Amino acid sequence: MDLRLTETQEILKKMARDFLTTECPKTLLRKLEQSEEGYSPELWKKVAELGWMGLIIPEEYGGMGYSFQDLVVLLEEVGRNILPGPLIATITSTFPILEVGTEEQKKEFLPKIAQGQLILSTALLEDEGVFDASGIAIKATPKGDNFVISGKKLFVEMAHVADYLLCVTRTKDGASPEEGITVFIVDSKTPGITWEVIPTIAADKLCEVRFKDVNVPKKNILGKVDQGWPIVEMMLRKGAIAKSAESLGAIETCVEMTVAYSKERVQYDRPIGAFQAVQHKLADMWTAMETSRYLVYETAWMESEGLPCAKEASISKAYINEAYKDTAKWAVRLHGAIATSSDHDIPFYYRRSKAADIAFGNTDFHREIVAQKMGLA
Amino acid sequence: MDLALTDEQKARKQEFDAVCKELEKKKPPSYLGFETIYENDEAWEYNLYCAKEFAKKGWLALGWPPEYGGKGDMMDKVLFAEARGYYDVPGVDIFGVQMLAPTLLQAASEEIKREFLPPIARGEVMWCELWSEPNAGSDLASLSTTAIKKGDEYVINGQKTWNTGAHKGDWGFGVYKTDPAARKHHNMTFILFDMKTPGITIRRIPYLDGNAPYCEVYFDDVHVPAKNIVGQEHEGWAVVNLLAGFERSGIDIIMTMIRGLEDLVKFCNETKRHGQPLAKDPLIRNRLAQTACELEAARALAYRVADLQNRNEMSLMDAAAGKIFYSELGERLAFLATDILGPYGQVKTSRWAPLDGAWERMYHEHFITSVSMGTNEIQRNIMAWYGLGLTRMK
Repeated sequence: MDLRLTETQEILKKMARDFLTTECPKTLLRKLEQSEEGYSPELWKKVAELGWMGLIIPEEYGGMGYSFQDLVVLLEEVGRNILPGPLIATITSTFPILEVGTEEQKKEFLPKIAQGQLILSTALLEDEGVFDASGIAIKATPKGDNFVISGKKLFVEMAHVADYLLCVTRTKDGASPEEGITVFIVDSKTPGITWEVIPTIAADKLCEVRFKDVNVPKKNILGKVDQGWPIVEMMLRKGAIAKSAESLGAIETCVEMTVAYSKERVQYDRPIGAFQAVQHKLADMWTAMETSRYLVYETAWMESEGLPCAKEASISKAYINEAYKDTAKWAVRLHGAIATSSDHDIPFYYRRSKAADIAFGNTDFHREIVAQKMGLA
Repeated sequence: MDLALTDEQKARKQEFDAVCKELEKKKPPSYLGFETIYENDEAWEYNLYCAKEFAKKGWLALGWPPEYGGKGDMMDKVLFAEARGYYDVPGVDIFGVQMLAPTLLQAASEEIKREFLPPIARGEVMWCELWSEPNAGSDLASLSTTAIKKGDEYVINGQKTWNTGAHKGDWGFGVYKTDPAARKHHNMTFILFDMKTPGITIRRIPYLDGNAPYCEVYFDDVHVPAKNIVGQEHEGWAVVNLLAGFERSGIDIIMTMIRGLEDLVKFCNETKRHGQPLAKDPLIRNRLAQTACELEAARALAYRVADLQNRNEMSLMDAAAGKIFYSELGERLAFLATDILGPYGQVKTSRWAPLDGAWERMYHEHFITSVSMGTNEIQRNIMAWYGLGLTRMK
């Protein structure tokens, strides 16, 4: 057992921190949140040059061939600084292509993703807003060499700038909701696709996407027809770990900024950090950070080793969802009024803690997975 | 990051598990968890029996250097603690094996090591700890019991309190003011002594459930050989801090809780309420799953503490955080389990009690971890002062 980061990971971490501190200051984040695109194409290019979109894509497809564990280290830094844009949407949408894509699909998409030429996102949620298969109603019907998709998807991250959407559809009404699900790689420029950005707490450009008789060639089916749900489960599992890593980084910032502020803000002739009411809360925030860290590291290690970790991934996400929301809330509370202003940086983290909670399954969704995996009838 | 066990570690883990699983079957009905060894003679005998079994295997000296009869490494110690915790088997003297032995190895003279380590490894001598005093709890360094040197002896006078199992301990270790004129933190010495020494009076303190695992210990001109000290004379505070750092991952306690949760899941699957198993109740599912998440978080942090200890590094922050986290998780788990049991949650071990009354016990036993070894409040202060660099209370 050795819980330390490897040398490669330490280098990756440092490089990411330096890059983001310089290239993605909060002034830029503030600007991008109010922009239509929600990301900076210029910064995206630089990120591509660093190889982040292709970090876990094998070298034979133009990627860097790093492990899932390494990705988690990178995403921790991304969360720490906050990098607005389609990085996580693209990376998590790449998981299914890597895992079940045909050789042809891999050759077509992976090198371009690695070079930052393609933005991907996954269209999963619909009206009910649930992460299980029962929520999938959008129909895809075979027609010649194509399937025709009609219906609506919601909360599709960065769909307004995505080149391709992984669309989770219903192709058959099976005995259970999990049967009859098919995943398509859909060119977002296909006629019949329209979108609108939904105003959200984190201004992270979640979209409603409408599909009206959208023709998708059969060669763009990911995996097998009617048997797509395990692909979604896999993506949710890896996505949950990835998102947890990002949240861990954000928790670190909340803790560090609040500790620093407690040392400098003086009331009653002493720094507020001299008061036990503040000290004990900071100790609890630190504990939330450290438990989150080793939970996500442990889970990432399991995922990297190919060990079954559906339970652990859900445990991590369910735990870190709450840890992040709570830590961000206390970061605001301990800063006091100043951190309720949009001029302050803490609100970025507070608002994003809610978005992070929902992405890839909220706490109750993951707790139910844990309940099943722990043997409750 | 690598959490994999080597093949040898896997094999040893299997052996630890197998032995503890067998010992579990020999539990007398009066053994109902760690504290009961101090409450009941039959449970104490079982504790001694387990100690001898472990001693035969060399498992009471895991991680010690070979010259003192040591075997295995620190990782073995972690795996052994997991097995003991999961099967809730006693036999590893928390004071002798877990706290004192590593302290002696690091801070005692060769003579003291040679004298006191072998009986610990053989499971022959049981220890107790004498730290707290009526007016020195969280602020331990303000203690007032004195040990004044006279010739080649110390003469101890005063009172200690909250001494777990002092009535069972063969030997005791504690800190005493040896230089009353010196400044705080440099005025005390860490002393070892035979609990049968004349002048020692032990009074048991009734715990809130009517049992009495804790004691008060009175010292009335107790003569102790001056050679029986650890560390430098008057510098016992450093030894206290050293000792407090050992074996604080809490992995055994966490594993006992993990087992408890498994038993609770089984209970919920088998018990019907409103015509369906309790396990189908969405609220119960959610609360049990939440606890499972928190237990895994506690275990992950315990591995972090163990990983640091394996490399002879010490993280005060992680150890304190882990202690706070798993002890308060114990409170939540006890409250949850007794909620789920409904009216049965209040029943003591008897024919009416589900799961042997374990949760009624846990409802008051959880204070053992949150109050002892530095209350969680003082642990939070320690984190804030020494870890986060915030202003220390005067």
